[in-house]
Amino acid sequence: MELRQPSSAEEAVGLLGNGHVALAGGTEIVPLLRDGLLRADALIDIRRAVPRGIHGTTIGAGTTLAELEVDPGIPVVLREACRLAASPQLRAMGSIGGNLLQATRCWYWRLDFPCYLHGGDRCHAKDGRHDEHAIFGNDVCASAHPSDVAAALLALGTMLRTTARELPLAELYRLPTTDDPQTTTLADDELILELEVPIPEASVYLKAMDRQRWSFPIVGVAAARTAGEVRLGLAGVAPVPWTLTSVDDLDRATPLPGTAYKLPIARALVARALRAVATG
Amino acid sequence: MADAPQRARGEAQYTADVLLPGMLHAALLRSPHAYARVKKIDVRRALEAPGVHAAVGPEDVEALTDEPGFFGAPVAAIAANTVEQARAALELIDVEWEPLEPLLDPDEAVRRGQLTDEPRRNERGDFERALADADVVVEGEYRTQVVLHNPLETHQSVCRWEGDTLEIYTSTQYIWGIRSRVAKQLGVEPDNVRVVCNYMGGGFGAKNDPGEYTYVAAELARRTGRPVKCALTRREENLAAGNRNATIQRLTVGARSDGTITALGGEFVNAVGWDGWIAPTDGPMQTLYHCENVRTVTYGAKINTAPMKAFRAPGYVEGTFGLECLLDELAARLDVDPLELRRKNYAHSSNERPYSSKNLMECYRRAEPHWERRHELRTRSDSTWKYGAGLASQIWYGGGGPPSYAWTRVGSDGRITVITAMQDIGTGTRTAMAQIAAEELGVPLDRVRVELGDSARGPFASISAGSSTTPSMGPAVRAAAADAKRQIIEIAAQRHHLEERVLDISDGNVVSADGNLSSPLEEIVGLLENAQILGKGARGPNPTGMQVLTFGVQVAEVAVDVETGEVRVLRVAAIHDVGRVINPLGASSQVEGGIIQGIGHTLSEQRLLDPATGTVLTQSLDAYRLPTIADVPEIVCELIDKPDEHLTNLGSKGLGEPPIVPIAAAIANAIRDATGADIHSLPITREEMLRALEAAKQKQRGAPAAV
Repeated sequence: MELRQPSSAEEAVGLLGNGHVALAGGTEIVPLLRDGLLRADALIDIRRAVPRGIHGTTIGAGTTLAELEVDPGIPVVLREACRLAASPQLRAMGSIGGNLLQATRCWYWRLDFPCYLHGGDRCHAKDGRHDEHAIFGNDVCASAHPSDVAAALLALGTMLRTTARELPLAELYRLPTTDDPQTTTLADDELILELEVPIPEASVYLKAMDRQRWSFPIVGVAAARTAGEVRLGLAGVAPVPWTLTSVDDLDRATPLPGTAYKLPIARALVARALRAVATG
Repeated sequence: MADAPQRARGEAQYTADVLLPGMLHAALLRSPHAYARVKKIDVRRALEAPGVHAAVGPEDVEALTDEPGFFGAPVAAIAANTVEQARAALELIDVEWEPLEPLLDPDEAVRRGQLTDEPRRNERGDFERALADADVVVEGEYRTQVVLHNPLETHQSVCRWEGDTLEIYTSTQYIWGIRSRVAKQLGVEPDNVRVVCNYMGGGFGAKNDPGEYTYVAAELARRTGRPVKCALTRREENLAAGNRNATIQRLTVGARSDGTITALGGEFVNAVGWDGWIAPTDGPMQTLYHCENVRTVTYGAKINTAPMKAFRAPGYVEGTFGLECLLDELAARLDVDPLELRRKNYAHSSNERPYSSKNLMECYRRAEPHWERRHELRTRSDSTWKYGAGLASQIWYGGGGPPSYAWTRVGSDGRITVITAMQDIGTGTRTAMAQIAAEELGVPLDRVRVELGDSARGPFASISAGSSTTPSMGPAVRAAAADAKRQIIEIAAQRHHLEERVLDISDGNVVSADGNLSSPLEEIVGLLENAQILGKGARGPNPTGMQVLTFGVQVAEVAVDVETGEVRVLRVAAIHDVGRVINPLGASSQVEGGIIQGIGHTLSEQRLLDPATGTVLTQSLDAYRLPTIADVPEIVCELIDKPDEHLTNLGSKGLGEPPIVPIAAAIANAIRDATGADIHSLPITREEMLRALEAAKQKQRGAPAAV
């Protein structure tokens, strides 16, 4: 397989698409290639094309989670989301831009069952085991989005700058439909370059997982109070990172038999998060 | 550790490190169906793929099947220059499958009579009558899940034919078992099979047998005339390399109001899988407490899942979870202290045969200060986090037995080599054997080297399973050391014109009782020049008419977040009675390892299947959740360390398995103490914890109405 190493974003964009796949830290792309879930004719190493580092409220998309978790200028909610994600080895490699684009951990998808996300005609998890799956947005696909970081960034009201546009983070995502399995709106030849992350007055990230470390969220709850207004972002509860506009949104959850237990966890963590940012 | 430098420097050679000149790599085609027939299989396209040398199918190797009964069953294999080429060629094997309807429900298998074996019934006394006469009866249904061994080194073998002799480098718990099984299967003389296992990266019971990877490597090596390695990938390891089978346990206890247990009954369904044996899930109920009326039946359900294999105290881990949770529910019903309940029903002598030694009462006594901590612990509870403590007892085998042999060789430099064709499965065996020889011979530990791991270079040695390595091998090594010592003293007596009975060896010197002689060992054996002293030792018999068992108790402290179902194990005190302890550091390490592995079994590990197809969903280690170091509690290890005076010349029992036996029940009982919720199912995921809390709430609401 060919590896290209462009030195600018413009050059990278020119190379992307048509089976050419962007590679940053490799913690997502390499396992997907190995498992045959992603096919690539060439890998485009974007590490010289995408900004890396923290400048005030601007974060380069190539910044690693390890760099973010130790930076005192980064809001608590984001630092915690980074710290509680993956393992130190993975955080030392994984970039924040790549983290936002990671695929679901749904075991059916990972085992290449012909589900909606693979262009098939059903969600195997709904009829089968869906212990780790969605309680929101699961009309079509019941997968859960695994990114802790995305939930934190949603709560912070993050704006993204890509090679093509500027957009609120929420608009990066779309729920998959029966005729379109995409979960993001990013084009094949579009790169996330920078994140603009407002500094909140108070913020917190709470995460329920199966063990104390190195586990994807059962439910992750991010809360941030910015200009007196509290925003909530949730991880592990829907096919995409999920925004709660109010606590009442929890009443509109659509849990499956095997995911019903996630709802009380979400309620408890949301209540705790709201208490934490009310005073913090 | 005697072999720490080798391990730290990377010089310890595991099977995974074996690279022989011209070696090929094998890959296995595994069934994508939980149940199917292979109607047609054609390897011709695969044989033409780059780097491929040979292919074998169900007709060539008995361990390959044309009627796979579980997802991942081995069907065919390819040998190629590289493992990547072999795997790529698997895609080119043309198979016509006829998928069949899989049966995955163990209860349904029992209903249909689809069993691996006759149901095992054990009965004494009159259970029904005792139950009818009981003041209180508690019943419960308990479930345990399938968990996977996940040794660090996956199952693998390298096979090479030298003329009519087959060399097998393999990751195994039983060198001699591999030798005889492979010889029988291939129709060659056992002496023409050499098995080598210098270092191995863990087995936990899953590496007692040759496995398909060995047979496949042997056949591919025969066909190609080249050495062949067949190593399972981590995913294959999680599919088809063995597991602890799931169980369903329907249990009953009857007792008098003073807490005396009068009746115990259990129906156990072991979800054995497509093949395997019925582990003694009823063992703890039959043996842990004094009870005259016990009735158990154990079914081996044959279902379309991967075969079970022995896994660190098979049956007893599962059965102890059920029984010891039931006991605590009885204690709660009678409002008696759980520790007192266990003392009250202490089995002083076995129902069949006396124990060679039993210090469980002493374990209980030493548990008291740990158990007392629960009062202070509970006061830490607030509206969210609830704290509590629980305990559970342990009974298991671990006596080892004959035959096993060892040799000692004392060179003219006064250095000692222990030689025996046993295996060290990562439990510190080299160190323990060196300690035993050094102590018996009266020399410093660093004078002793242990050579093991090769059936062609040492005498027969026992399996490393059933916590038997130290109690089986240690006595043979001690006897071999004593034999060498006797010869050395004989020489010294002749040389110095002293009686043998006044001589001894101490700290590397031959000394006389009056202190007049203190001669370095090498001066005495140096007289032999190039000749050497050879000692021989055999493992003596176990005491006639006695049961050799291990005992213990563990006290767990937990915190439970009652809103989110999070369970944290804070502290575990483990008190075990395993006879004489050889290496205290190695022993506490076994205890810690058992408890950590048991915490995985209790809280986070489970192999999940797609209910429609039987596909294993948890094939990778991000889906199958082993505990990490962050999940490890404070572990306090106390060993009674009292030699079993009836047990051979060593008095040591095994410790590999006992620590994992009671941990699940101790944690579940601690959860009840903290929250009032009864745990009936493993693992205790958030879902299970929240369900149990909700059930407890309903029960509490319902209770006044029922009075």
